[in-house]
Amino acid sequence: MIGPVPHEYAIGGVYLPPMLVAAVLGLIAVLVTVRLLNRFRWSRYFAYPPLVFVSLIVIYTVFTGTFIIGA
Amino acid sequence: MILSRKAKEAIKTALAMTIAYGIALSMDWDRPYWAGFAVAFVSQATVGLSVNRAALRMLGTVLAAIVALSLIAGFAQDRWLFILSMLPFVCFCCYMMGGPKYQYFWQVSGFVVIIVCFDSGPDPVNAFDTAVLRVQETGLGILVYSLVALFIWPVHSRSQFETVARDLAATQHQLFAAYRSLMSGEEGKAKEASQIRAQQAQQQARFGQLLNAAISDSYEVRELQQPWRQYQGSVQKLATVMERWHDSFAETRTMDLTRLLPGLPAYLDEIDHRLEQIGLMLAGEAPQRRPGPVELTLDSKATGILSHFDRAAIAVLYRRMQALEDITRAAFDALSGIRGYGQAPPIAGPARPRPRFLPDPDRLACVARFLTIVLAAYLAFIYVEGWPGGAGFVGMAGALGMALVNAPQLPISKIYAPVTVSALSAGVLYIFVMPQLATFLGLGALIFAVTLVICYSFAEPQQMLGRAFGLALFVVIASISNEQTYNFLGFATTVMMFAVMIPMLALTVYFPISWRPERVFLRQLRRFFRSCDVLISTVDRPGGGSINRRDRWRKAFHLQEVATLPNKLGTWAPRIDPAALADATPEDVRNLVAGLGELSLRMQAMVEASKPVKSEALVQALEGDMRSWSASVQGAFQHLSDNPAAATAITFRARLTEIMDGLEQRIEDVLDRSSENQMGPTGAETFYSLLGAYRGVSEALVSYAGLTERINWDAWREERF
Repeated sequence: MIGPVPHEYAIGGVYLPPMLVAAVLGLIAVLVTVRLLNRFRWSRYFAYPPLVFVSLIVIYTVFTGTFIIGA
Repeated sequence: MILSRKAKEAIKTALAMTIAYGIALSMDWDRPYWAGFAVAFVSQATVGLSVNRAALRMLGTVLAAIVALSLIAGFAQDRWLFILSMLPFVCFCCYMMGGPKYQYFWQVSGFVVIIVCFDSGPDPVNAFDTAVLRVQETGLGILVYSLVALFIWPVHSRSQFETVARDLAATQHQLFAAYRSLMSGEEGKAKEASQIRAQQAQQQARFGQLLNAAISDSYEVRELQQPWRQYQGSVQKLATVMERWHDSFAETRTMDLTRLLPGLPAYLDEIDHRLEQIGLMLAGEAPQRRPGPVELTLDSKATGILSHFDRAAIAVLYRRMQALEDITRAAFDALSGIRGYGQAPPIAGPARPRPRFLPDPDRLACVARFLTIVLAAYLAFIYVEGWPGGAGFVGMAGALGMALVNAPQLPISKIYAPVTVSALSAGVLYIFVMPQLATFLGLGALIFAVTLVICYSFAEPQQMLGRAFGLALFVVIASISNEQTYNFLGFATTVMMFAVMIPMLALTVYFPISWRPERVFLRQLRRFFRSCDVLISTVDRPGGGSINRRDRWRKAFHLQEVATLPNKLGTWAPRIDPAALADATPEDVRNLVAGLGELSLRMQAMVEASKPVKSEALVQALEGDMRSWSASVQGAFQHLSDNPAAATAITFRARLTEIMDGLEQRIEDVLDRSSENQMGPTGAETFYSLLGAYRGVSEALVSYAGLTERINWDAWREERF
């Protein structure tokens, strides 16, 4: 299976590296996820949420970069 | 037309900003916005406050330039060596910034080192020029603002200082009156006293700031600098002594104080008169009477029939009232010397410096947060190609990170709106207005108008963040220079830089240490009880003078923790998420913090009371019992440090009450069997002070257990992001 081709994103003539776009999307996804986890009190099942937070950023960024953005 | 004070201050800042830009551009200096930054950040309400801040900014910039040039000279060849050599100094500045003195100096030193290093590091050939440019433009901004503040509608600090001094004296007088009512059993005054106490703390801080400012801009105050400092010391001590006096009321509530202390009404009237006379002198009037002699004695016959614990409590109260008498007399004498109504008391020699370094874990946690911000920015700059802002991103992250860790209680969400509005407004000016301007006349008018609008709209102290971001984003986005270029990419890159940086700053609320208010509150609570536990273990050590240097350091560290943590908890308490409070109200949390404050005072009193080295015969006889009491209370503190909810159990409270009753009974038995003469006069005082302190700690602990019952600690302790 061939993933999306890595390419820069242009916003108003500003070229952004794909990894940056993937990281921003990953961060937004994580913020939504942790809000939901807090809302439904599922975060209490994690021993150290700050570490989970960073791990989720890495996972979402890699996922978005590999399958959606093409970083 | 009469301009408001707010309008005058805004006009002064706008004028200084325009002149600073005008001079920098006419001298053809690169980056004139650095002069603009200096104006924007040193402008304060009075000349003195501005001059002090300007001096700290200038000195901080000079130190930072020297350090940055040394780092570039030594380590610019290797990026890891470079950052690793820079971080220790920056972290040191970040730690010092949280201390009691010269906070702004350390803050400026820290972030200017990062800015100069990352501006010049990639281009070391021009490093010296960049560092010197930063220094000279900061100096220009400071000089221009100082001259404008001095010549146009100058506001000297003296009148504000005198007003605050009067207000503080009136507040302390009110607090004394409230405590007097509480002492006589009017429990309804407790809430009023608590409000007055909070007001007193704010006025004390303001008094200190304005005294420094008035020394800088008023000859009359500078001439009497030492006596004013002495008066400031007396006022601070008076606040502490009144707290301790109030702290003794719980144990003496049921006693007939007028019988035990025959001169009590006359004593209270005398203190009241002294505080009134202090207020009169501060209002510019001559005192109607000088402090008279006070005859407050303990009636030995009446105290003889009390239980030993009650005798201890009354002895402690008596000692604290004597201290109150001394300090009100000292405050009166210091002020009458300043006002010329009497002989000024001799100036005490300089206070002994703090003998040892005592680290503050909260400031170290701030350093860890700052380090995370700088390293994350640096790694992004190195490893992500095309990262917006490049090296400038690291400099800006360092400057913002410093400001953020300086006020860790402030929610990061508070900066979203000011940044967005400022960036968009600056963008509109940059894209649509600035290209129409051809001369400095037009540009100067624009700078003046924008600065005026921002300073006028965000004039209140609580709006400082909006003002700082508004001015900073305007000068950064406009990038005014002699060879002005207009490029949408420049604007978009700056906006993108902030769009990436703010989530990065928000991330540090969770990692590596959680800064959610309820987590910080629990951490500090644990530390408080752990320190109480350690202090209790040091108190019952026989021959306290023989402890080694490490133990003395440890004891001083934990004493500092116990003394400072209640105030820190007080600053975090209002920020706690209402969802985590569950059924409790903010009032319950405030009461809990007040209970901890009481426990803190009693722990300090106990450490003080246990200072005598050699135990008297009777103390030796009771040593075993006191040790068992210490062990029990220590156990309670250990439980609480592991789990603050441990105090909610009824059995826990019952156990504490049982321990206290048991100890009281044993002490009664031992003392009844012995003759009090065995102790001697100093021995009796030592013994009763110690006994009073032990009882005070027990009572405060039981009272704390009552306060925790309304808090749902499980909700607080639950892991959350």
